[in-house]
Amino acid sequence: MQRKMTGGRRVFTIVNVLFLALIASTMIVPLWNALAESFSSNLGSMQPGILMWPRHFSLSGYQTVWTVLDLWKPFENSVLVSVSGTLLHVLLSTLAGYALAQPSLPGRRVISGLILVTMMIPFEAIMIPFYVTIQQFGLLNTLIALILSGAVSGFSIILMKNFFQSIPTDILDAAKIDGAGHFRCLWRVYIPLSKAGLATVTLFEFVSRWNNLLTTVLLINDSSKNTLQVALNGLVNEGSATSSGNLVTTNVKMAGIIIAVLPLMLAYPFVQKYFVKGIFLGASKE
Amino acid sequence: MASTGLLHQQTNPSIVYRTRRLSKWKRAIPLYVMLLPTIAYFMALTYYPLVHSVLISMQDFNLIGNRPFVGIENFRNVLTDPTFWVDFRNTLVLGVSMLAIGFVAPIVIALSLNELMQQWLKRSVQMIIYLPHLFSWVVVGGLWIQLLNPDGGLVNAVLNAFGISSVQFMSDPNVARWVIILVSVWKDVGFNCVIYLAALVGINPELYASAQVDGANRWQETWYVTIPCLARTMQIVGLLSIMGVLRMFDQIYVMRNAVIDPTVNVLMTYVYDQGFTQMNIGQATASALIILLFSLLLTVFTRRLVRYEI
Repeated sequence: MQRKMTGGRRVFTIVNVLFLALIASTMIVPLWNALAESFSSNLGSMQPGILMWPRHFSLSGYQTVWTVLDLWKPFENSVLVSVSGTLLHVLLSTLAGYALAQPSLPGRRVISGLILVTMMIPFEAIMIPFYVTIQQFGLLNTLIALILSGAVSGFSIILMKNFFQSIPTDILDAAKIDGAGHFRCLWRVYIPLSKAGLATVTLFEFVSRWNNLLTTVLLINDSSKNTLQVALNGLVNEGSATSSGNLVTTNVKMAGIIIAVLPLMLAYPFVQKYFVKGIFLGASKE
Repeated sequence: MASTGLLHQQTNPSIVYRTRRLSKWKRAIPLYVMLLPTIAYFMALTYYPLVHSVLISMQDFNLIGNRPFVGIENFRNVLTDPTFWVDFRNTLVLGVSMLAIGFVAPIVIALSLNELMQQWLKRSVQMIIYLPHLFSWVVVGGLWIQLLNPDGGLVNAVLNAFGISSVQFMSDPNVARWVIILVSVWKDVGFNCVIYLAALVGINPELYASAQVDGANRWQETWYVTIPCLARTMQIVGLLSIMGVLRMFDQIYVMRNAVIDPTVNVLMTYVYDQGFTQMNIGQATASALIILLFSLLLTVFTRRLVRYEI
């Protein structure tokens, strides 16, 4: 499609690049600003004006977050809940996805139907009876409740099922002739061939668990069991997280934000590729 | 050994018959074992709460103690509560604006990105605009509340530099509503854009070649080739966004404050406030059921509209 650059084309290219630069800068400037503020001194971060570089460089924001506000515990809780919850989620969706990918499964349509219906029920719409159920199980105020909620989802199951169905059945038949049962087939044949699918579900679930706010707000009362997002919300958006009653300065808030996005930024290079793949896999027809 | 057992069974005709009939189910036992935790999960933490909520919605529900049956009173209370209708209207206004702007913006950006010849530039812009989608609403809300802060926030500092006086972004109810809408679009635009870019790569180049033979210019190529080829992706993105509208919660929970509540509170925050702030659990559940009904209708309607199945 190489064409000669005409005058109009050149103008278009310049306008286009400027437009995209403007859009991209709305994404990069807030983060850059937050980073600069997080490394400023308490007073420096509170002063008005355009701040794109730390004003009176200082680590006091991070120190306050760590020592006074003790964000370390919520951070730990978040890691624990996100990692174990994600592992559970991936395990269950893989098992269910494999089972539903087998045409020989009796009652497959009924079970698929039951799972599809759950996708039409937003969690927010059943949050109160969900809370009551967790209370009935005696799991209120426990991290186990957070790990269990969202242990599996229709979306992940369908994604894994679609992935498994794209694997040629010849390979499976060969394994079956060799006498492999379903568990062995899954473990030895399907899983090694499904790394991309597994990576997609894992990243999806990890990011959504790391960012989850509502479940923790609902199920956890005890501040020692709070996750990072809830603690951070108290700090950043309500400014009332400090029991000591001291003023939460901007550098402290921004330090909290930087800490919360750090794990995601580290995972980022892998995320984008798989996320798009996941959307298309999850959305493709049966 | 299992194999010798099987051989032995096959020698007896009556057993062969029984195993054949049973074998379909028997062989599926490992599959059911695999499905068991999932089914148990959905039964215990999706279907049971759902069914239970019908019961709760008809009770004067207390977490401890008596739960007298009150029939449809909770529903009546919800439907006669002016706050419910204010929040309903807000959901409509916010939802429709987010859908409209959020639908067009990623297409425009994806098309402009697609015009870039420099791959590295394309990739970097793509990576940058995707970032906000990864962040939680706590982070995004925190960033923007700080940026829009009248004293010390970057946006007002820039406005001041141009001689414009500071705007009270988060304490003027009408301005705040636009902030909520635009920040929501801002967060997801990159994600949807990347989906469109993936679809753009898949368009058959021969279509452009033949358009050029027919004398189409760039704009015509975009209008008559690119846009129609994106129709399917537009359906998927549109459906996902529509289903998300009634679920809107985190953003409002994080970004609202007492002053702007009347223009930004939505149905889900209504449920939350009724249930957990005012402890009207029965009424909260009734309102959640009403919303669920809305969302099922909306889902059925959009499915009809875009004829798309997950």
